[in-house]
Amino acid sequence: MMENLLEIKNLSVSFHTPQGELQAVRDVSFSLQKGEVLAIVGESGCGKSVLCKAIMKLLTKEASIKSGTIFANGADITRYTQRDMEKLRGKLFSMVFQDPMTSLNPTISIGEQIAEAVRIHNPRMTKEDVFQRVIELMDLVGIEDPKQRYHLYPYNFSGGMRQRSVMAIALASNPKILFADEPTTALDVTIQAQILDLLKEIQQKLETATILVSHDLGVVARVADRVAVMYAGKIVEIGTAEEIFYDPRHPYTWGLMQALPSYAKVGEKLHTIPGMPPVLIDPPKGDAFASRNPYALAIDYEQEPPMFRISDSHYAATWLLDPRAPKITPPIGGLAHV
Amino acid sequence: MIRKNPFVYYSKKIAIFLLSILILSVAAFYISRWAPGDPLVSYYGERVERMTPEEREWAEEKLGLNDPIHIQYIRWLQNALQGNFGISFKYKQDVMEVIGGRLGNTLILGGIGFLLIFAGALGLGILCVWREDGWLDRTLCKVGTIITCIPEFWLSLVLILIFSIQLRWLPSSGAYSVGNKNDLADRAVHLILPMIVTVLNHLWYYAYMIRNKLLEEVRADYVLLAKSKGLSKKRILFKHCLRNIIPSYLSIMAISVPHILGGTYIVETVFSYPGIGTLSYESARYQDYNLLMILCIFSGALVILFNIIAQIINERIDPRMRENEIVESTEVTEVG
Repeated sequence: MMENLLEIKNLSVSFHTPQGELQAVRDVSFSLQKGEVLAIVGESGCGKSVLCKAIMKLLTKEASIKSGTIFANGADITRYTQRDMEKLRGKLFSMVFQDPMTSLNPTISIGEQIAEAVRIHNPRMTKEDVFQRVIELMDLVGIEDPKQRYHLYPYNFSGGMRQRSVMAIALASNPKILFADEPTTALDVTIQAQILDLLKEIQQKLETATILVSHDLGVVARVADRVAVMYAGKIVEIGTAEEIFYDPRHPYTWGLMQALPSYAKVGEKLHTIPGMPPVLIDPPKGDAFASRNPYALAIDYEQEPPMFRISDSHYAATWLLDPRAPKITPPIGGLAHV
Repeated sequence: MIRKNPFVYYSKKIAIFLLSILILSVAAFYISRWAPGDPLVSYYGERVERMTPEEREWAEEKLGLNDPIHIQYIRWLQNALQGNFGISFKYKQDVMEVIGGRLGNTLILGGIGFLLIFAGALGLGILCVWREDGWLDRTLCKVGTIITCIPEFWLSLVLILIFSIQLRWLPSSGAYSVGNKNDLADRAVHLILPMIVTVLNHLWYYAYMIRNKLLEEVRADYVLLAKSKGLSKKRILFKHCLRNIIPSYLSIMAISVPHILGGTYIVETVFSYPGIGTLSYESARYQDYNLLMILCIFSGALVILFNIIAQIINERIDPRMRENEIVESTEVTEVG
């Protein structure tokens, strides 16, 4: 067994809103091993971004960790203050954000912004060494002519180039864990593939453990080693990419798979999951997915399903896996076309 | 990066400045002439009431007031271009000399007030953001709003009542005591009350603007990236956020010049402080045309000048605002 870089146990995160407590992340547990890519997938608002930001403590004051523990690199960082976190951010973990158009400071040159990330954890580096390191990083993320582009500003760059710059910033101090929060969502489709390939390439080269947040199973299939499916603030299924894509067990995962355009047959309408995710202020009793689930059992409306073990790496939270549940034929399985 | 010829750049700015002044002078000239009132009163005082129509005619002829306005304006402009702005009807003195005696007083009150306001506003704004939603921030917001709502003249009167009449600590009017024109300590004592009113009245208004601008920046996406690369709160606030509000801060400063200047004019009047403010008020009231014109142009020039300065500084700080700068390879496209 490899060493766990990150271990999340029963983590719950809530936002305190005027309407009441919004339970964005509910009782989430998972671990991340050295050098692996874990994808977190789910609909908008299921808590995947909040989960990452909560681990790095980048959430606003309205949010708080209600319960659970976060172990990072062997230390319990759950109660760390912002000041403690400053020492870890960039070095232990760092993050690539969704929209490269807004995540760079518009008034500071790209090179300077990368240099800042280099300097912060290596304050004694000479000017010349910092410059060399920045050029090296720009090379690494595929920005051509880095010396000329060092002095350019974000507004001189296209979306893809900006996302490359953000990656260079994120990788500046060789973090052990990289959170990539929908890194391709705001980009053109052609650029998406390039950025994903780059992410995978860098991840293999530097052996950075990566948590990739996405709502796009196609993206996930391309790079992930393991996949966690989130719904209404909970992980409902987690397993290796193979297990999730070829042997999904949770009805929500089935729904997501069926919704893939590549799943639909020619001439058929694309599949959708009926209804909307629940509002997480006062989440529904029982399984939050029950009302949208064509396979829902009576117990789903009463009691939350526990995580059932399918294999050492594959778990799913659905009562269908209980030995007493009626046997049903899953609508999919053996997905060869993703 | 290539900068366009700085000579062209600054000539353009100067041309804009001169054109604005010209337009301002036309407007001020016409409006003052059209405004009701008798300019002869300011020249001849009480005697005007006893003048015969012939005498009036002669007086108007002498002061050049019976020509059509545009002729009067051209004459005024020709003289002005040669540096002759005419005499004050009331003081029977070259207007420049009249202003010269008062300008220093206003510049001291307005200038020091301006610096105090903006240093204080920046400090308070940063403090509020640093302690966002803490008791300090909330108290400052409430107290500040209340103070800003107090009218200047009322605050002046209350302060005079307390510190001049009751406690007798500070003088209630003037810029210096009789015979003490060159005594700096005496001048400073006279400045305290007008300065307090000027600063208190504007301070929170600008501090609140800075606070809100900064709060917007602190919530921007790039702050998340800056945080995630390990920068401290202090560094993010000062190196990233503050830098991004400086253009708007400078614009606010520049735009505030007329605002604060107007404020000092009121304060000057209440405290009978011998400055440009009291003079403007008198000149407008008594149709002292030449004096009014030069004061209008002076105040206007100050306002326009500060706007242009703000623009130049803006363009230097925020690269996106540089209209005259061509960046090499702007067409950086995605490469494989």
